[in-house]
Formats: sequence, C-alpha cells, structure tokens
Amino acid sequence: MLHVEGLSVRYGPVRALDDVSFEARPGKITTVLGANGAGKTTLLRTLSGLVRNHRGTASFDGQRITGRAPESIARLGVSHVPEGRGVIAELTVDENLRLGTFVRVRRGERRAVVDEIYERFPQLRDKRHRSASTLSGGERQMLVIGRALACRPRLLLLDEPSLGLSPIVTAQLMATLRELTTGDGLGAVLVEQNARSALSVADWAIVLNLGRVVVADRPARFAADADLRRHYLGF
Amino acid sequence: MTASPTRPGAEAAPSGARKRVALRPLARRLRLPSQPLVRHSILFVLGAGLFYVLTVNVGAYSDYQIGEIAVYAIVLGGLSVLTGLNGQFSLGHGAFMIIGAYTLALLQLHTHVGLVEELVIAAVIAAAAGAVVGVPAARLSPPYLAGVTLMLALGLPQLSAQYGSVFGGEQGLTTTPPPAPGTLSPERWLAWIQLFCALVVLVLLANLVRSRFGRAFRAVRDDEVAAAVSGIHVARTKVLAFTVSAGCAGLGGALLVLSTGVVNVGEFPLSLSIGLLAAMVFGGAGSLVGVWWGAVALVYMPTWSTSLSQHLSLGTSAAAYLSDSFFGVVLIIAMLVSPAGVQGGIRRIGQHLWRTVAGPAFEPVPNDPSLAAPDGTPSEVAGVEAATVRMDQETKERSRP
Amino acid sequence: MALFVDILLSGVAQGMVFAAIALGLGLVSRATGIVNFAQGAMGMFTTFIAFSLLSRGVGYWPAFVAALAAGAVLGAAVERTLIRPLQGKPALNPVIVTIGLLVVLEGVAGSIWGNVARGFPAAFSQRGLVIGRTRVAFSHFDVFLVCAVVVLVVAIVALFRWTALGLRMRAAAFSPEVSRLLGVRVGRLFTLAWALACAAGSLAGLLVAPLSSFSPYYMDLYLVYGFTAAVLGGLLSPVGALVGGLVTGIAIALVGGYVGPDLQPIAALAMLLLVLMVRPQGLFGTAGVRRV
Ligand SMILES: Nc1ncnc2c1ncn2[C@@H]1O[C@H](COP(=O)(O)OP(=O)(O)O)[C@@H](O)[C@H]1O
Ligand SMILES: [Mg+2]
Repeated sequence: MLHVEGLSVRYGPVRALDDVSFEARPGKITTVLGANGAGKTTLLRTLSGLVRNHRGTASFDGQRITGRAPESIARLGVSHVPEGRGVIAELTVDENLRLGTFVRVRRGERRAVVDEIYERFPQLRDKRHRSASTLSGGERQMLVIGRALACRPRLLLLDEPSLGLSPIVTAQLMATLRELTTGDGLGAVLVEQNARSALSVADWAIVLNLGRVVVADRPARFAADADLRRHYLGF
Repeated sequence: MTASPTRPGAEAAPSGARKRVALRPLARRLRLPSQPLVRHSILFVLGAGLFYVLTVNVGAYSDYQIGEIAVYAIVLGGLSVLTGLNGQFSLGHGAFMIIGAYTLALLQLHTHVGLVEELVIAAVIAAAAGAVVGVPAARLSPPYLAGVTLMLALGLPQLSAQYGSVFGGEQGLTTTPPPAPGTLSPERWLAWIQLFCALVVLVLLANLVRSRFGRAFRAVRDDEVAAAVSGIHVARTKVLAFTVSAGCAGLGGALLVLSTGVVNVGEFPLSLSIGLLAAMVFGGAGSLVGVWWGAVALVYMPTWSTSLSQHLSLGTSAAAYLSDSFFGVVLIIAMLVSPAGVQGGIRRIGQHLWRTVAGPAFEPVPNDPSLAAPDGTPSEVAGVEAATVRMDQETKERSRP
Repeated sequence: MALFVDILLSGVAQGMVFAAIALGLGLVSRATGIVNFAQGAMGMFTTFIAFSLLSRGVGYWPAFVAALAAGAVLGAAVERTLIRPLQGKPALNPVIVTIGLLVVLEGVAGSIWGNVARGFPAAFSQRGLVIGRTRVAFSHFDVFLVCAVVVLVVAIVALFRWTALGLRMRAAAFSPEVSRLLGVRVGRLFTLAWALACAAGSLAGLLVAPLSSFSPYYMDLYLVYGFTAAVLGGLLSPVGALVGGLVTGIAIALVGGYVGPDLQPIAALAMLLLVLMVRPQGLFGTAGVRRV
C-alpha cells in the first residue's frame, strides 16, 4: 500500500534522509528503528506531507503522495500520530475525537465512530467532557490513537508512541496495535526507540542510521543476531 | 586581509587580475580611515561641503526643502537606531516631534534663552518622554508595541485642544526663526543650522553605534536572553534606545517648526508617524546613510504626487493621499520581499563595482554565519529584522584593519 | 444624575462598537496570531462602498449587506495576498504590513471619496428615547446598534461552540499542524477567520458612521479603542471582547463627560498600559496564556 522509493530530505545543508526505500503492507506493522537523530521523525513527516522531500517518491495505493499537502494525504487515509502525541489540549476529549471524523466519515456516522472509540478505550468515555490537558500520559496516548482511528485510516504512522509510558502501558499499547492490524486491513509504520517492544509486534523492521537504511529484515533476525542488535539497537 | 594572488577569481581572469593589481593600492588609499572619530569627522566635513554647495545654488523655497530634509534625517536617524540597532520600532515618533516642537515654541514664548538652549531643552524633554514610553515599551511584543505607539500618535495631539490656553488650541503657537547674520537670507541661514544639526546628530549616532552602548543595543536585538546572560541589562538598554530615538525626534520637531513659523498638531498627523517608519524602512533600517534617502522621499513625495495626480488629472485632494499611499505600499513591499531599503541596494551595487575594481580581496562584507537561519537559508531572516543586519555590516567593515 | 445616566448609556452604545472591533481583532489574532491594525480602515473602506451605493439610490439594507459582504471579501483577499506569504517570518512583519495597509486604504479612500466629513444615514431615528418623562441619550438607532453587536457575538459563540466548522476553526487556531494531519484544511479556515473578522469590522464601520464625522480617518480612534477593549477582554473569547468593549466604552464615556473629550485617547492609552503591565492576559484570561 505504501511504496517509498529513493527518498531524500535535506534541512539546508543537513541530510536528514538519504535514499530511503521501503514498503508497508496492509495488515502489517513495519517498524522503523534507529538512534536519536537518525531521521525517523523526518521520514514520517515527509510521508504525511509536513516536510518536502528533495529526491525520490512515496506513493500510497498507487497515488503519489510526495509533493501533496498534509491535509490531502490525510484525506487519502494516512493518519499520522506525531511525536509528542499531538493532543489538542485546549479542546475536550470528545472534541479531539470528533475532529478525527470530519474528513473520512459521513456526517450521520460520526457519532457512532466516536462511540466505537469509547468502546475500545472506556477510560476516555469517563472523561469525555474534560479538557484534554487533564489526561495522564497513557490516556493521552489512547486519545491520539483513538483520534487517528476515528479518521478511519488505511495506514497509521506512529512516532514513538511508547515515549514516556510505563512498560505495562507500553505492552498494552503494542497489543492493541497488533490487534488493529490484521488481515488485509489497517497497516502501520511504527517508529520506535524502544526497539524491544516494537520488534515484539512488528512484521518487518528497518533500521535507519544517519538517514540511511542500514538493515531491512524480519524481526526474528534481530532476535537471532546479537551483533546486529548490539551494533544498531544497543541491547 | 591581504590580497592573495592565488584567489580563484584572479586565476580565472588573468587580464582583469592585472588591472586589479594595479588599482589595488589606489583603492586602498581611497578607503576611509577606520578610526571612527576621524572617519566620521571626515564624513561630516564632506557632507557639510556638499550641502554648502547645494544651498548656495538654489532658491529660497529649495533652501526650505533642504532644511526639511535635514530635519527628517535627524528624526529618521533616531528611528533607524531604534529599529535597526535595537530591534524595537515605533508608530508614534510624530508624537515626540510634537513634544519637541511645542517645547521650543513655549520656550520662545515665555523665556529669552538662546537657540542652542532651546534646541537642547526640546531634545531633552522629548527624550524624557521617550524614556517614560520606553519603560512599558521595553516589555511589549511587536503587536502590543505597535498598538501602544499608535495610540500615542493619535492621543497626544489631542492634548493641545484640551489645554488650549497653554498650547494655543487649533491655531497653535508661533515660532520665530533665528536672525540671519549679514546679508544671508533667513531661509538659507536656517537651512544651514538644520543641516549642521543633522550632521552633528548623525555623527554622534554613528559613534554611539560603535560604542559599548551600540554593542549592547545589538546584543539585545539579536537575542535578549543571551544578552541578559552576558550581563547586559536588557530593559535598561531598550529604554535607552527609545530615549535616544525620542530625543532625535524632539530635536527634529523643534527644528522643523522654526521653518514653518507655527506649531500646531495638524502638522503631525498619524500619517506622518507611519510615514517616518516607512521612510526609515525605505532608506534601509539601520543605515545612517540611508536616512537621507528616506528624508528626501518624505519631503519630495508630496510634490511628486501632486504633479503625478495632475498628470493623471486626478482631483487636487488626491495628491496628499497618493503620497500617504506610497509610504503604505513601501511598508508592505518591504515586509513581503524584505530588502534592505534603498541604501541596501546601493551598497550591493557598490560592492559589485568595488569587487570588479579592487578584486575579491576587498569584498567588504564577509558572509556572517550567525545571520543564517537554523536551516542555513539566510532568506528566512526577514523584513526589518533582516534589514537590521546592515548596521552591523557597516560596523564590521570599518573595524577591519 | 441624569448626566451620569446619559454618559453611561452613550458609553454602552460606543462600547458595543468597540466590542465588534475587538471581536474581529480577536478572531484574527486567535487564528493567525496577528493583530490586524488595518481592521478599522477596512471597515471604513467598506462603509464608503455602502455610501457610494446609497448615493446611487440603493436602499439602506441592500447597501448594508453589500458592505458586510465586501468586508468579508476584502478580509479574505488580504489574508491570501499579504498575510499568508509572511508565514514563518518574524512577528513584526505582519504587524507592519497591516499598518501599511491601513495607510494605503485611507489613501485610496481619500483619493476616491475625498477628505470631507460627510453624513452617513442611520437605519433608525437618532433622537433619544423618552422613558417616563425624560429624554435619555439612547435612541432607536442605539438599540439597533446594541442588538446588532449582541447578535454578532452570539452568532460567533454559537459557531465556535456548537458547529463542526467552529470546532475545526478552534483546532486550526490552537494546533494547525495536528489539524492538517487530521485532514482539516487549515489555510481555508484562516481565510474564513479573516473574512469573518473583517465583516465584523465592516459592521462596526456601518454602525459608527452615523455617530461620527464620516471621513477616511473616522475609524482610527475606534480601532485603538477596539484594541484596548480586545486586550482588556483577553483577545481570545468573543464574550471577553463584549465585556472588554463595554468596560472601555463606559470608561471612555466617563472621561469624555467629566474630564474632557480630548483626553479620551490618552485615557485609553493609560488604561491599555495598565492592563498590559498588570494583567497582560486580560481581565478573563488565565495567566500564561499570552506573552505580551
Ligand atoms: N526542522 C529541522 N531543521 C533542521 N534540521 C533538522 C530539523 N528536524 C530535524 N533535523 C535534523 O535532521 C536529523 C534527523 O532528525 P529526526 O528526523 O528528528 O531524527 P529522529 O526522529 O530519528 O530522532 C537530525 O540530525 C536533526 O538534527
Ligand atoms: Mg524523532
């Protein structure tokens, strides 16, 4: 569903991405690993249109998305949950969720979609009329993932969702993610620094180093190859 | 900075290089000395000579206009230091001109002090008012600073109506120009006084730019937090800049009403305050040479727009509006394309010519990496804040051995 | 006592106009973080358009609506052509652009319509109402004025609070990037905010034109009073704008009635400085909302 071909991005003289190619499939989780500054965030921001690439292409379901505006990429069904979560703190929980439904859900079905999210995350229902700024870290993560799901996406782009969460909440999150991506439905690109938990759920993993793809393989390979782990993932 | 024969430019064009080598010592001798005081004094004398020649060759009305240009050069010099050097701005400098103008008129009406004392007191009172406004202004971000100074420009003139017995109400007060010595016409004498003041003020400002205070102004403009960390009292520095700037405006106002013979607030509408800002941007924020371009534009724009509107056979009233609109358009364009004003353009052409004559070794403005935006594109530094770079570059040039 | 009541009433009427301007300033400021100093001049310009229509024999209400529409169009055009290209530039640049626009609009209006104070008709009688046996300084027109602004404020509040469009506008203002990732067309909403704000400015222009000497500069003072009201009300909420407008209007009227009308602008300046120094977030804002 997502084809990335020779993608390069520069910030002035800094090369943030250099000739990156990979693919994400429906129903599969592709995890993007790498140290701080490797270019993971840049990759997601380029895919969702927030950053302009300077070489290469990305296409989603056969449509070219590089060069498009973020709002039009979102309308195709790509939901990007940004780094640092992107809760709109000035709105209530319910308003945050409703905001997700405006572009890909028909007017009459919006309420039902939001209710579905509440079914999945009952804690959010209890706080639906509270300001989103009052939520805990884990609840915020639920909210942004719920909001991304309310977009009825085909592809999720998640930027370090486990950041700042306890190991238990992280494990729950990964389990939820696995549950959402099955069959030929929702696909996900999962950017993580927490390689261990990401690898536990991913179907495919790529490692970025200084903007280049240095490893692209099955997660099992990382389990087997201690050198590889130590070299690129630090454990 | 010695010229190196292995410069790539010299290799690429051998014949040009030979010419350059021959011209280099000459070019170097033509450069002004770098000692600020000496340099500024030389500029002062050159300027004075130029204006002397100008005024003896023109009629009384042109004398009046040249004097007016000098007056606006003073006001714009102060504004240019405030914006170009310190990063603040003001939409209310007309108000400080009013303060200087009325101070002079009141002194002439009630006391017998001499002209020098009158002018100094006018500047000091306006500077004091500037300090009062500068204290809150130092804490305000651009939109609020704009609002506050806008209100000053609108509100202060109305005081003359409120206290009509002191300020003469709508008619205002009259002023007497200083008597001219010998056979000199009063207009020419006054124009000389105004020009002399302008040159003195600009030399003083140029020295201020180079002084400890000038460095503090720039440091605050570039990064308030960093300036504070390095021991600069940020608020005090900003208030000082505002004070100096308002003092210049006050002196300008006082000198201006010597020419007009009357002081009334009708002479200082809001459009003047905004026109001052635009003229400063037009000349190039932070350039003390550019203020002359701005001043010329302020003085001649009404005349030009009158002839333009006659040419286009618009109504007579259209003329005044055309010149106001011109300054509005200047502001908008300057912000959208962020050039460094007329003086910036001239400087760039000059640099180009200089390079072709004197060779790349004399390239006056080194690329300053600190000016570049975080992502390396200097174009991100925009508008007035980019134009403010000018004065730094002038300074750097001069300080080179 | 009668004087005091009259002053109070005229303060309320003026204050409603300040509120309409403050509302427009707040809409733009909230969406694009800019204070639009050309807002008064834009209102002036569209009111002159209504004036032209009226003098060609068009009825009052069609001209009124045309001016509001012209305000919306002008606002949208300004946002697209002058403000959007400045995105990402220092905060000073858009401020100066709106100041430049203010001068240009006044200049253009002056060269088209001339700088003579004219009369602009009022929709209703401007003679004071008779209550009991006294005639108070509050006319049918003032009633209309107050109602028009209240309707405007209620409409804006309702738009933001209860409609999907309003929710999107709030989201776009608070967090443009996240909104774009959710498919919200943020650029269009900013244009819409400018259009609404300038329509509100046009309404203010139409409402005060009969009360003042109608020339290209008649909105200058209203703009700065509206700015004071906006800062007082905290620049963010429509209700804050309403209260800020009323407080400013009454304060200005008291200064005008008891001290002197020529001191009104300086008094407003003093009030503005006091608020900026003591409570920069406005009367209702919470601390830390805004850096002055
Ligand atoms: N807006 C930006 N401007 C300039 N350089 C940036 C910007 N964003 C990121 N970078 C640089 O690009 C590289 C990749 O950053 P990023 O994508 O955030 O990495 P990661 O998410 O893997 O930590 C880093 O060297 C970073 O400094
Ligand atoms: Mg990152």
